[in-house]
Amino acid sequence: MPRRHQEKFEEIVERFVELKDTSELMMDLAYSSLLLNSKELAEDVQELEEHVDKLHTDFELLVLSCGFKLEEAKGLLGLIRLGVVTEKIADAAAEIAEVVLRGIEPHRVLKLVIEEAEETVTYVQVAEDSLITNKTLRSARIPEETGMWILAIRRRGKYIRPRPHTTIESGDVLIASGYAKGEEDLKKLASP
Amino acid sequence: MPRLERIEYKPISVRKLFLDIKNLSELMIDLAYSAALFNDKELAEDVLELESRVDTLTYLLEMEIMIAARDVEDAEKLAGVSKVASAADKISDAAADIAAIVTKKIGIHPIVSEGFEKVEERLIRAKVNEDSILVNKQIGELDLAARMGVDVIAIRRNKDWIIDPEDTTQIESGAILIARGASAGIREFKELVEGKLRKLEG
Repeated sequence: MPRRHQEKFEEIVERFVELKDTSELMMDLAYSSLLLNSKELAEDVQELEEHVDKLHTDFELLVLSCGFKLEEAKGLLGLIRLGVVTEKIADAAAEIAEVVLRGIEPHRVLKLVIEEAEETVTYVQVAEDSLITNKTLRSARIPEETGMWILAIRRRGKYIRPRPHTTIESGDVLIASGYAKGEEDLKKLASP
Repeated sequence: MPRLERIEYKPISVRKLFLDIKNLSELMIDLAYSAALFNDKELAEDVLELESRVDTLTYLLEMEIMIAARDVEDAEKLAGVSKVASAADKISDAAADIAAIVTKKIGIHPIVSEGFEKVEERLIRAKVNEDSILVNKQIGELDLAARMGVDVIAIRRNKDWIIDPEDTTQIESGAILIARGASAGIREFKELVEGKLRKLEG
């Protein structure tokens, strides 16, 4: 395969991974918004849904503009369909979040199922001199240190789905959930 | 037209039904992506089977919700449960769409799968051979996460699925294990499950 195509493929994969990660992050955030009856999180989900629409269009345009031959195009059709599915997932997540935005306290069954405990969600910004700056999530050991679980990282207006190898940067906003008493610990850890 | 079965009312709690729908739909997404990216037909078929299971559960949940509503306040809150369950059902439909890429032989370009292997953890499906050293062991005692970076996310015994098995869940001969992990660990694990590797390293 020509080098030019190889690069195109890599770009397509990269865009797709972003689509997939965002749609899955939305599911996590949507269920958390129910659990916590948090309008703020539910609004984030709605905002991300618009973002996914845009990502999806860009992704489709990128694939269409590649000018592949028929055999190659067949392998790409599967990828285009995957793109459509990520958007469906994003839509479903937005519907979950809508339940919160309608303003009726979610039924206790929803909360029971999503998590047994009374939890809180918190947003903290990572300071330059924090111990966790430039560490990967795995080595930062935030759940062990604070009891808080990272749902998402907001970085320069983008949402990142946390993975063990994700590096925490100064200025990142960590969206975390956990027991109320872990909140203080997390704040101290992130911005001492 | 597919033949649709009649769904008869069974008394199962709203909580149990919703829990199953949510867990299954989330598991299905993971299974489906893995099926599509690694062209795994068996995983794809599991997903399609689970999709019809979720359809049935969603139907039963709707019935249960109708019975549970006693007044306006109940109805307002239960409408939210119904909405969320139907969103989870849509997620399971989306997973089935992904699985169809495999079963309809559309496929995904191998370069894409290669690209994915670099960034994503892989999922495998393996049937427990009767000679495997894992037979009758509890998941917890194997220490899979520390040994090979592998996590068993589901077990299928005939038609039954156990999602997120407990440490005390036993591995039975003939069961199908679905596990997630980095590619080296997952290969080793598959060999252990299938009885091709007879020793636990590390």
